[in-house]
Amino acid sequence: MTTATLDAPSESDIKPDDLRAEVEALSRSKSEPDWLLAFRLASLEQALGMEWWTGQEESWRRTPRDRLPRRARVTDFRASVHNANGRVTRVPQHAFTPHAHSGLIHKYHGDIVATDIAEQAEADGIIVKPLSEAALEHPELVQQWLGAVGQPLDRYDAFGRAIWTQGVFIYAPRGVVLDESLFYLVTQDTAAGDHWHYTLVVAERESQLSLIDAGDADDRRADLDESPLIHASVELIAEDGAQLQFASVQRWHRQTAALSTTRGRVGRDASIRVTTAAFGADLDKQRIDLDLSQNGGFAEIRGLFVGDGKQHIEHVTRQHHKGVGATSDLLIRGVLTDESQAVQYGLIRIEPEGQKTSAHQTMRNLLLDDGAGADPIPMLEIEADDVKCSHAAAVGPVDPDQLFYLQARGIPPKVAERMVVRGFLAEIADGVPDEHMREVIDELVEIQLEPARSNS
Amino acid sequence: MTSPLFEIDALEVAVEDKQIVNGLSLTLEPGEVHAIMGPNGSGKSTLANSLMGHPRYTIAGGDIRLQGTSVVDMPPDERARAGLFLAFQYPTDIPGVSMINFLRRAISARRGEEIPVREYRQLLNEVLGRLQMDEQFVRRYVNDGFSGGEKKRAEILQLGLLQPLVAVMDETDSGLDIDALRIVSEGINTFHSDDNAILLITHYQRILRYVQPDHVHVLIDGQIVESGDASLAERLERDGYEPFMERTKAEVLSS
Repeated sequence: MTTATLDAPSESDIKPDDLRAEVEALSRSKSEPDWLLAFRLASLEQALGMEWWTGQEESWRRTPRDRLPRRARVTDFRASVHNANGRVTRVPQHAFTPHAHSGLIHKYHGDIVATDIAEQAEADGIIVKPLSEAALEHPELVQQWLGAVGQPLDRYDAFGRAIWTQGVFIYAPRGVVLDESLFYLVTQDTAAGDHWHYTLVVAERESQLSLIDAGDADDRRADLDESPLIHASVELIAEDGAQLQFASVQRWHRQTAALSTTRGRVGRDASIRVTTAAFGADLDKQRIDLDLSQNGGFAEIRGLFVGDGKQHIEHVTRQHHKGVGATSDLLIRGVLTDESQAVQYGLIRIEPEGQKTSAHQTMRNLLLDDGAGADPIPMLEIEADDVKCSHAAAVGPVDPDQLFYLQARGIPPKVAERMVVRGFLAEIADGVPDEHMREVIDELVEIQLEPARSNS
Repeated sequence: MTSPLFEIDALEVAVEDKQIVNGLSLTLEPGEVHAIMGPNGSGKSTLANSLMGHPRYTIAGGDIRLQGTSVVDMPPDERARAGLFLAFQYPTDIPGVSMINFLRRAISARRGEEIPVREYRQLLNEVLGRLQMDEQFVRRYVNDGFSGGEKKRAEILQLGLLQPLVAVMDETDSGLDIDALRIVSEGINTFHSDDNAILLITHYQRILRYVQPDHVHVLIDGQIVESGDASLAERLERDGYEPFMERTKAEVLSS
């Protein structure tokens, strides 16, 4: 590895006064209440007071510096596809449209293009709404939970809270148990440039909800002049005894730099399970930070990816234990073809009070081509003495004995390799709480493997 | 004149430049059961794996012919589709790939066309029943978490489903208790017909009580040093491999 010179990040794109004015105009255009504008502006000041990553930080050291723009712009969605009435005229089919759901919201071009909620879910008080709208209709709720997960993790995260154009509020009241998943579909407007998402999910005490957050692009073949940045700040709150499941599946335009910060606060005897599947973006960096401050909590992180071309797919995670008797588990599995690269930097942090913690992590990377590479880095910081921790990391080719076994049954090598690879990823996809979605993921795995494999 | 069903002709096999099989010849005719018996390190597993085309083994000389056609240059999948089968000594587990999906692909590959779902179900249930295996078994991942006995039964299940012309059984009896050995042996006997041939590779004689061999061969240092009928296996059981090994040593010294 070469040592990159650490030049000072360019600040040229950040114009504080313009940003303040743009955020205000954005908030007004969405008719947001004053307190929401105040939250945006406070977040903006926080962001302006922070620095970009330099590349020296442990969690940013392995990110290709030239491919992640350090920029924060308010996206102007008024251009391209709106008609005179301000409505979106053309909605492309979304790859992940569900068969069954308890509630759904589909956003494209900063607009809602579909919204639906099951009768029972509505009667139970489930909320699936754009954040601006929820702020008007349920001000006390949104105000209570906005930013409640904690201070922003970094400058992007802080900007994300200020300049988001695509916000969503998902809420399950106390004791409500949903039978089907909720869906948040986003179609990337490739012509519009950067997208900033802010997703706030709250599961009140003893409730159970699962949210599938699925991103697709309107035109995956478009040749873009500038790589769009898609940033997502996701805040997950599971109150005592609640069970919250969040699955994020993304197939953005290939030129996209996707950066997400997913944070979870796990209540007493509550659980948060996060599953992510990365397919589209040229650079995909996911930060997943789950906080187990309460006793008896459970947190799970599952990641799946298939990289090709020169994709860079990175997971930076933290399982943060403070409560007694809490459990966390991380399992990331990826397949890399061509010259794609992966990084997993996973930290298990156990504070002195986190006794009886059980925390584990496993990272496994299959390399299908010589040019592909992976760098799994499990880290343990343990300050309690009565804990069970384990970590395992692996990088390697498909097991030749597995291939031989399948070939010995008449299955051609290419088909055999795919079977092993899909089987390898199936264990992660099995964690997605929707059968149709699991099938879609399996198809995407197949599609993603196709072009690279057919040449060999 | 028709070619023999399966011929191993002066076969030499090397692993990482070390020659393990040293000019072994053997001919199997339809309807025959041959047993190759040998002590540890005699080259049994090398022979079995090289017949199937495992990439770790290099054919250094000789030939392997199935129905008169050399398979030496064929990759393993082509050999399998041509009708060669290897029951593995240590079947590999493949997590995430279900038996039911794997078996269907394997049958379709062997037949050269997709097996219809209905026919597949019927065939599967029939063979599962014969091997006293639960239907739920095929919902599991390939060999994943299987006990030693389950793995061997799964190999016999595949033998019954794929209907190969020549089945090479690599220490199929190892690790089996007496009941499992009986069921597995019955599975082999049910499969066996006048149209196919079986090559049992084994250390012990005990499976030969259930699967009657027509010919028994003794393998020492990668060569067949003695061939005979079923009584040869009994002699081995009584006297062990020692006399054959002594003889080989003596031959080497005198040459």
